[in-house]
Amino acid sequence: MKSLLKYLKNYKLECAIAPAFKMLEALFELFVPLVMTGIIDDGIKKMNKTVVYKNGLILVALGLIGLTCSLIAQFFAAKAAIGFSKGVRKDLFAKIMSFSHENVDKQGASSLITRMTNDINSVQNGVNMVLRLLLRSPFIVFGAMIMAFTINVKAAIIFTVIIPALFVIVIYITFSTIPRYKNIQKKLDSLTLHVRENLSGARVIRAFDAADDEEADFAKDNDDFLRMNKVTAGISAVLNPATLILVNLALMVVIWQGGNFVFEGVLTSGLVVALINYMSQILIELVKLTNLFVTINKALASASRISATLEVGETLSDDGKLNALDCKDSSEVLSFDNVSFSYPDASGESLEDVSFKVTKGQTVGIIGGTGSGKTTLSHLLMRFYDATEGEVKLFGNPIKDYSLSSVRKSVSYVPQKAQLFSGTVRENLLLGASGADDDKLWEALRLAEAKEIVENKENKLDYVLTEAGANLSGGQRQRLTIARALAEDNSVLILDDSSSALDYATDARLRANLRSLKDKLTVFIISQRVISIKDADMIIVLDDGKAVGIGTHNALLSNCEVYKEIVASQSKKEESAV
Amino acid sequence: MKNKEIYRRILKLLKPKMPLICLSLIFAVINVVATLSIPILTGRGVDCMIDKGNVDFAGLKTILTWFLVVLLINGIANYLMTLLNNRVTFSTVHDLRRDLLKKMHTVPVTTLDAMGHGDLLSRTISDVERLSDGLLLGFSQLFTGVLTIIGTLIFMFVTNGFISLVVVVLTPLSLFAASFISKKTYKHFKKQASLQGKMTGFINESVNAVRLIKAFSAEEAKEEAFNEMNEEFAKVNLKALFYSSTTNPVTRFVNGLVYAGVGIFGALLGIGGRLTIGTLTCFLSYANQYTKPFNEISGVVTEFQNAVACAGRIFEFLDKENTIDIKEGLQEVNAPVLEGNIEIKDLAFSYDKSKKLLYDISFKVDKGSHIAIVGPTGCGKTTFINLLMRFFEPDEGEIFYDGIPSGSIRKKDLRQQIGMVLQETWLKSDTVAKNIAYGHPEATMEEIVEAAKKAHAHSFISRLENGYDTVLSQDGGNLSAGQKQLLCIARLMLNLPPILILDEATSSIDTRTELKITDAFETLMKGRTSFIVAHRLSTIRNADLILVMKDGNIIEQGSHETLLEKKGFYWQLLNS
Repeated sequence: MKSLLKYLKNYKLECAIAPAFKMLEALFELFVPLVMTGIIDDGIKKMNKTVVYKNGLILVALGLIGLTCSLIAQFFAAKAAIGFSKGVRKDLFAKIMSFSHENVDKQGASSLITRMTNDINSVQNGVNMVLRLLLRSPFIVFGAMIMAFTINVKAAIIFTVIIPALFVIVIYITFSTIPRYKNIQKKLDSLTLHVRENLSGARVIRAFDAADDEEADFAKDNDDFLRMNKVTAGISAVLNPATLILVNLALMVVIWQGGNFVFEGVLTSGLVVALINYMSQILIELVKLTNLFVTINKALASASRISATLEVGETLSDDGKLNALDCKDSSEVLSFDNVSFSYPDASGESLEDVSFKVTKGQTVGIIGGTGSGKTTLSHLLMRFYDATEGEVKLFGNPIKDYSLSSVRKSVSYVPQKAQLFSGTVRENLLLGASGADDDKLWEALRLAEAKEIVENKENKLDYVLTEAGANLSGGQRQRLTIARALAEDNSVLILDDSSSALDYATDARLRANLRSLKDKLTVFIISQRVISIKDADMIIVLDDGKAVGIGTHNALLSNCEVYKEIVASQSKKEESAV
Repeated sequence: MKNKEIYRRILKLLKPKMPLICLSLIFAVINVVATLSIPILTGRGVDCMIDKGNVDFAGLKTILTWFLVVLLINGIANYLMTLLNNRVTFSTVHDLRRDLLKKMHTVPVTTLDAMGHGDLLSRTISDVERLSDGLLLGFSQLFTGVLTIIGTLIFMFVTNGFISLVVVVLTPLSLFAASFISKKTYKHFKKQASLQGKMTGFINESVNAVRLIKAFSAEEAKEEAFNEMNEEFAKVNLKALFYSSTTNPVTRFVNGLVYAGVGIFGALLGIGGRLTIGTLTCFLSYANQYTKPFNEISGVVTEFQNAVACAGRIFEFLDKENTIDIKEGLQEVNAPVLEGNIEIKDLAFSYDKSKKLLYDISFKVDKGSHIAIVGPTGCGKTTFINLLMRFFEPDEGEIFYDGIPSGSIRKKDLRQQIGMVLQETWLKSDTVAKNIAYGHPEATMEEIVEAAKKAHAHSFISRLENGYDTVLSQDGGNLSAGQKQLLCIARLMLNLPPILILDEATSSIDTRTELKITDAFETLMKGRTSFIVAHRLSTIRNADLILVMKDGNIIEQGSHETLLEKKGFYWQLLNS
């Protein structure tokens, strides 16, 4: 929580003004019972109408001043709270964007989304209420006590007994519900996950007629959520009646003692009325205070989740000073020296002792079975992860010597899963190529065999894609992702099994287009199709994380058993390709 | 949706909870009567103290005894009322979320795609949460608020009519102020809710694609876009928050006016001897209590505005048209057991009516046939499959299964007879075993392992940390694309229907593995009508019928040989 306080730093003034004016308002409120005592003792008892009018006017004036103070306070509290949440939202988003793959896996997308939305809302609400009430309420409570002392020390003693008792109750109940609110929030995360899955799996769920099962699964968590909410709210519900009873018990004491003091002539009945009024002011403020504690509770639970996310340690160091873009003309593009890698928490190694060297302009094919480590290899090359052993060198230097962003800026990547964003085609293509002009984009589209797709849309580059590009077919999405990578105009391109949704003809044309860029582009083609990689200058055959063969198609045919098997499995099925 | 309509819908939603709500109302009445009795008792207590040496201690004792009894009743009623309100609210939103999820399964998938998953997520989670907050406040403060106002008026008029008039005359001021503010605020809340939906959509998309964004080093660009949205939201948010937070101070000011009015007129009456100091004390605390509910009600109203805006968005989705199960004008055929003869006549489909995505699709196949669909990407293959599964409804034409128009078979019954493996895999974050037994929770472990073995998934599953009990992370994140695909195939193997759709089912599986499961696939397809979208020639060549699609139309159809002889588009594709 403390770590979030810095987001209020730019709103120091607001944070001071809001409670200050709230306290001013409270101060004027504290005078009201005394003015009323004047009306009773000097007005009614002494039959003096002037005093009544005068004091009546004072009451109205106190109200007006209070209103002004309060409006000022509300505005600044809102301003600070919103500035605060805006800042948190900004940084949290940036933090999530900076997460390494490992962290994204660990944290889980849906819980990150809850943090960005619900949690921030609840913290904002908390800050707003704290600024408005946290000082005001105790001020009124203690203020009322002090005013009671000025009336009569003996009569005020009950105030000193009751106030600590009230605080103990409020704080005890509040803090016993904090961990419960945390668990409720966690449950809300699982509800979010359910909804997300039901949306993304709509077709499969229908195909398997599994809506009932999904609903039953959801019901389990939804029921838990209901139960937890009921229990927790049940505990919180004790707070109001408990404070009500305590304050009124104190009020009974005030009345009884008041009777005695009036009998002894120590107090007037007007002053007893003032004491009663102060006691009721305490009750009213306590109701607000307990509500405030509930809000603060929720806010604290959310805040600790947010700061936990903000404080997640980076798993990848980013202290490289070199800029990869400056080195991209190096003739040596990439080398792996005895590289091994295992995913965090995984039992086995995904890559084992892999070594190879790639020079500029080469086309490198990477082939291997499902789970053989092909994608892992590309992840190391993009430095999504660091090698567990051995060294990866890019453009002749250890990859860790570069800044992370420059590595990724110098390497274009087409992932397995064709992911696009809502927005225009142009915005999508400009993802990594900000500043590229339309000619360049059309050229990238042409190379990716995607020109036709965009040309056929009525707004061309301004054609708007819906969320995740849902209004395009799988193949169209894939070609756009290839165009997006080519638009970056880099010297290294990785195609991670990214032509799987393309028919052979389109795939072949695409590879021909890439070959035409040979003098400036080093291409890594990860594939399971021999045909996609067989013309490569170098083919790396991966099997169960080991590089079991490196060489050209012909060389591998004669010396690599696994490669031969792969080729056989495919040629048996397809003498030619469609 | 109009506000009136939304309120009506909320009431309808609460209808099953009416007994609980009534009970809560009863406790609210007890609570209010007890609360209002306390100032009277206090006032009488004050009247017992007249002057030095003149205090009625016996009277004071009786009063305080009553005070204690009333106080205990007050506390208990208050607690029970809160419990009931909690119960009503929480179970209402519980049911609402259940209905929302259910709805996701009954609307056309096109509706889900069109509304956007992020936006729907925000409706189901945040909007429902806000509605819950609003309802809770509504119950706990609106009830007691209104009752307190009515109760106070009665108590006051019984005690003293003249001062009560002062209070009543000043009341409209408070109401006017509250309604003025809430009207102003509603507009901003509505804008805020829609911006929030937009922002949630963006967050959803970005968080899900964060790996990709990093690959393009586009973090900064995304952040910039987000910051812009964030700034805009903050502006609207500030307006909504500030306007709504003026309600309290303004009504508190009106409250102060009432208090002063009661003080002045009460004192004037007191000077005339027509009012005791105790009664005045009682009136003063009424003046406080009476205006406090206005404060609260107006606070509730603003919160409620927000909740109503959210409820509107929730109902909007719940009101989306469901998919039609039996097409109009057709007679339902109850759960037919299909053999797999399929005829398609003049099928046409488009998202927007201006541009046809698919048209003039006609062909006929007998049961057990294998139909390959080929064509360049974007030619309409996937759309066609969506039509076969009735994910989309055709604009024109009809699909006949064993002579029965698809529109007269319940979707559930139809889909039970069609198995599909799609290129885009979807797995649940649950155990491997549960994923294989998807849709068939009654399957035994033996059956599951058997299915996995058939799909050649058993070996990699056994190598997972917890084998079949390994819990997959979101979107099967801890598996490779190929492994996910194998699980999807195993899922199908568990229960084989008479019709199969394999849309690039093996595209992510390496050929060595594929070769191993080819036999399995062949057994799988044997005697079953199978639609295969594939690139591999061997699969295509052996098909009984090849449909060659281009730009949403079947331009050639026939067997491999006849199509080759024709030297048309198919021949071109082969030779490219």
